[in-house]
Amino acid sequence: MSAPSVEKGIQAIKGQIDAPVASFFSACVHCGLCAEACLFYTETGDPKYTPINKVEPMRRIWEREYTLFGKAKAALGLSKKVDADTFAEWETLVYDGCTMCGRCSLVCPVGNDISDMIRKIREGFAAAGYAPEGLIGASTRAVEIGSPMGVKLPAVQAQIKHLQKNTGLDVPIDAKGAEYLVLLSSMEIMNFPEYLEAIARIMHQAGKTWTIASKAFEATNSGIQIGVSDIAKLLVSRVVDAADELGVKTVISPECGHAFTAIRWDGANLIGRPYGFEVKHILEVLDEFVKQGLIKTAGMEDAKLTYHDPCQIARKGGVVEQPRDLLNRIASNFVEMEDAGEMNWCCGGGGGVSANERADELKLTAFNRKKAQLQALGVDTLVTACANCRLTLEEGLEENNMDIPIVGLTEMLAEHLVEDDKEKA
Amino acid sequence: MSTIGNDKQLREALNGLNPHQQRVLGARFVENVLSLSDDPRVAQSLVVARGIDLAEDVVNLARRNIKAACLEAHTRCGADGEWTDQAGYFVARAAEACLEPEGRSQGKGAAWKAAMSARMARTCLAADSDEDAHDTESQAQYQILTSYLDA
Amino acid sequence: MDANELLAWARGPGFDIALTIFVAGMLLRLLEVLALGNKPDLSPPRGSGPKGAVQTLLSRNLPRKAVFDREPLRIINGYVLHIGFFIVLFLYGPHIVLFESFLGFGWPALPSGMIDAVGAITILSLIAALVFRLNNKVIRFISTKDDYVAWTVTLLPLLTGYMAYNHLVASYTMMLALHLLSVELLLVVAPFTKLTHMFSFAMARWYQGYQAGRRGVES
Repeated sequence: MSAPSVEKGIQAIKGQIDAPVASFFSACVHCGLCAEACLFYTETGDPKYTPINKVEPMRRIWEREYTLFGKAKAALGLSKKVDADTFAEWETLVYDGCTMCGRCSLVCPVGNDISDMIRKIREGFAAAGYAPEGLIGASTRAVEIGSPMGVKLPAVQAQIKHLQKNTGLDVPIDAKGAEYLVLLSSMEIMNFPEYLEAIARIMHQAGKTWTIASKAFEATNSGIQIGVSDIAKLLVSRVVDAADELGVKTVISPECGHAFTAIRWDGANLIGRPYGFEVKHILEVLDEFVKQGLIKTAGMEDAKLTYHDPCQIARKGGVVEQPRDLLNRIASNFVEMEDAGEMNWCCGGGGGVSANERADELKLTAFNRKKAQLQALGVDTLVTACANCRLTLEEGLEENNMDIPIVGLTEMLAEHLVEDDKEKA
Repeated sequence: MSTIGNDKQLREALNGLNPHQQRVLGARFVENVLSLSDDPRVAQSLVVARGIDLAEDVVNLARRNIKAACLEAHTRCGADGEWTDQAGYFVARAAEACLEPEGRSQGKGAAWKAAMSARMARTCLAADSDEDAHDTESQAQYQILTSYLDA
Repeated sequence: MDANELLAWARGPGFDIALTIFVAGMLLRLLEVLALGNKPDLSPPRGSGPKGAVQTLLSRNLPRKAVFDREPLRIINGYVLHIGFFIVLFLYGPHIVLFESFLGFGWPALPSGMIDAVGAITILSLIAALVFRLNNKVIRFISTKDDYVAWTVTLLPLLTGYMAYNHLVASYTMMLALHLLSVELLLVVAPFTKLTHMFSFAMARWYQGYQAGRRGVES
């Protein structure tokens, strides 16, 4: 990233304004219903977290740059400026107080996609030098090392060895012509290595060929989180190049929310051309395997459990039914939270918030929404499918002295997998 | 008593143990990697894991503490990960497994989970270096189990 | 200028000027939006963009339960306001005559007495909307002068129309003149306020719905 400046920030925001964004600002009637959908507002009661307010700097730039009336107002000195103070004031609204969960976009009566505007406005804040330290560090590491958490290939290889010795299963690396390319998020590699083991066992049982790419094992896209398209493009390109080189049919995005959004929806637009392969979320793949009879499950969890929908996978990704179909096969007491599925409440840690230490307290306050949902339901276990959601929820539960274990869905499925050859010595 | 020489035998032997025995054994697995963690809560939790007929609130407090230890030890999303620190996370998870309430084992015993996490802790050290102590750890665990069963 | 002259002006040149500004202004606002263009989406679609767009055009007419439960009165009031306004505007005999002179066709009217009642309800609903705006901390926070201007120019035609119909305050001629002038004010001011939403709402719903349809997600 070149040296930031307020001017660069303004230009970056200007560049992000397209017809949809302009239509959104034209249509907004200040009804404030977006706030009623946003957990940062509902749990803090602070109106500054009203979603449309978070993108006010973008509105100002739109008005003065792209409307005749706005230009006239600006010439007469009648409109509000965007300067260093604006960036400073709005930084925490744009980064700390928003996970780009998309709930506001879904409820706006005139149809405004506010969360997408947040993604766009972050380009300006990053270019102006007003992005949180944690995200700058993460994206720098992602570019230079290949993982936002500094995970290098030897670490992955060490884990693979551990896996091989424990299960006898192989994890192919750079296997040309494999059907599936599996991506991992650093969060999973470092904190939940059981995910990779689950994948290995499931793939083996399903009889599918798969591989990891040594040059592109990372799924997390820090560029999307901080809002720098160049970085986002670079990170996606690594995966695309590896997928093309290995000639895989499908790239599998792991249990990480924004990673899916990045590779499934943004990727082709970032690199400027369609992919030569498909992209699926691991839950979509698992659901397919089950429905095609490639893998079978046995036994049921009888604990009362519920499923937390990661926003990027459910509301923004469209993967809503699959986790439920999968869970219903292995859980006899699966109950839904109110507002589950498309209208689910965000965990509060996505979109870069959990990588931003400054936002810790706000994140915990926002968690009160999830706390209320869980307490109303009274469950023994919480299942989810995003490593970041998982840790955010764990932190929130711990802060509130709530003893509810959290399990990843892929991991849980693997535990109920019917495996032909149990043990390989 | 037959010696334990591989994971198949390890699992079979573990499956034959009752919950208390699993916890005691799991605690021994954790002790073998205790040096990889600098959190005193780990050792404290093992005391509770080994205990018999302890009051429920004592156990619950220990569970909360070890859970907190796990959370504190994990690497935050997007942070610069240190594998030597991350080893401490897996040690805490191994200890957490020893204290897990019985209904939650999901088909895996406490001892097995503790063993896996302990091995993972050892593996963390290999992430930054070429040193691969995973096998050493497995061997050590077979030895621990054998000694336990012989006693 | 006496009431008759005012009325004649309002019916004649006044209306022409106002309508011209309204049409030109709205067209300008819409073109300003469209001119910015929209990049095609290269990601493989799961569903149909146009289908999603049409669905969203319709779906946003109803609130999501989760949000409705939080602000039921305010949301219901919004419906009363809009529906009332449309009934008065489009189903009142004399208004239909005016539309007919432009469109070449008309449609059945509602009884004037009913329009009068609806008008009164709509005025009350507008006042309620203002009360909400001033008392709800979110809306108060995000409100700008634009909101209050839009409110005023929307209220005046309803108010003057009601007063004219009921022969209140001034002579019928004068009230009618004021009513027409207030309508002209609304027409002239609308393109420069959030009242552009009367057209841009469809664009916003379309754009978001299109993307949602492609992605196979709820919208």
